[in-house]
Amino acid sequence: MAIPPLSLADCRVLIVDDNEFNRKSLSLVIRRAGITGIAFAENGQEGLAAVDRFRPDLVLLDVDMPVMNGLDMCRALRRTATHEALPVLFQTALDSDDEQVRCFEAGGNDFISKPIRPGECVARVRHQLERRKLFGDLAAFRERVQRELSHARAMQISLLPESRRLAEVAQRYGLTLDSHFQTSSELGGDFWGIYPLGDRRLAVLMIDFAGHGITAAINTFRLHTLIDRFPMQHVTPSQWLMQLNAALKDVLPTGQFATAFFGILDLATDTLTFAAAGSPNPVLGTPAAGGGARIRLLDSAGLVLGVSHRATYADQSHRLPRGGFLFLYSDALIECPGEQAGPIGQDAVPDLVREALAGDRQHPLRPMMEHFYARSRLPLGDDLTAVWIARRA
Amino acid sequence: MEFKKTATAEATELSLSGRLEFTDHDALRDIIGIVEQSGGKRFVLNLADLAFIDSAGLGMLLILQEEVESHGGALAVRGAAGDVKRSIDLARIGEIITIED
Repeated sequence: MAIPPLSLADCRVLIVDDNEFNRKSLSLVIRRAGITGIAFAENGQEGLAAVDRFRPDLVLLDVDMPVMNGLDMCRALRRTATHEALPVLFQTALDSDDEQVRCFEAGGNDFISKPIRPGECVARVRHQLERRKLFGDLAAFRERVQRELSHARAMQISLLPESRRLAEVAQRYGLTLDSHFQTSSELGGDFWGIYPLGDRRLAVLMIDFAGHGITAAINTFRLHTLIDRFPMQHVTPSQWLMQLNAALKDVLPTGQFATAFFGILDLATDTLTFAAAGSPNPVLGTPAAGGGARIRLLDSAGLVLGVSHRATYADQSHRLPRGGFLFLYSDALIECPGEQAGPIGQDAVPDLVREALAGDRQHPLRPMMEHFYARSRLPLGDDLTAVWIARRA
Repeated sequence: MEFKKTATAEATELSLSGRLEFTDHDALRDIIGIVEQSGGKRFVLNLADLAFIDSAGLGMLLILQEEVESHGGALAVRGAAGDVKRSIDLARIGEIITIED
């Protein structure tokens, strides 16, 4: 980024000095350097009022003055949040070590020597003004990026199923549907969706683009436009993933890819058929004798999406009867380190699910997320998505 | 992540240690520099001392594969164990990159 040179003509300088000769000679020196916005005050108290009125970019401040001296004025400025970063240059005899220390302790940024040496004076003033402009530019840039990121985040969240729609789908198919979505650095690479396919079937998709932040988030927008291009109605999950893989391979540069789970739940045959591309192992729960649940991790190995045109995927079918559930999650759940312990890890997920079910049989995602956030180091290093899909008994 | 380089007449080998993750993009640039210097030789990434790899880290392996091949060399990944091996297997990276045990 090219930084435009500082124009001294746009800068405002306040000179605070009780000696009229000093005020005049200082203003002469800086006026000759191009600074035209100059105001004067004769002591610290007048100086503080002038700062509020004149809004200078820099203050040239004498130390010994009646009513309020320069040190007290500088301390007062530093106590005010709006003037905390206002550059203050003290005029002092350069051979007095004690006085210089006192000036720095009061919050001064630098000194100009007394008697005034014009070259040095202008150089120091210019340096402080440039520094101030750079800080200002950076702060403005940062603010703009923050604002744009939060807009983009709202857009990204709008890609995900709304809670009202989730409630409708849950009602229509006799399901309990709970979800959680949290991005690591404003924007993330996680995406999920649920798609009704007629009265007895529905599809569920979960995707995690490698990495996070802006690049990963842009990929979720790409994905969202691709999904509509491939109807889910008359293909197997593996065929659908192959179509998506080919489309992603065409647009993703090397090194970017996505893990995926795509499943179709058939309520008439109580069957979940899915294909996976390297997503974390989904958890399948089926009702067991005695009211408990049989819980197991499903194999989800598969070449990640967007890496090779030759990738093929396999379908697996599992029984998912009434009272059963499917739990999907992104890798943050098992990879984010805890405050005291390491990450949860893939193998501990079935126990995590069991504990969550013991906490809330109907909506176990709530206690599970509470447990996760209580143990994890925050902010999370990666995006977290978790989806709980249960068939009502 | 940190790495150590050993070079012979036939091959360049990098031993990676620590965690290979999202925050290691600068290290990737350094490694690509080494790939460029080593020309068309065999390039081996030894992951025996690597404790963890995330999806961004797997992406870096794919980028290195392309870099090595574009310089006329061949990449092999060796020694992955534990969680690292598990991540590589889950994502089926072995379909793209030569994995040696």
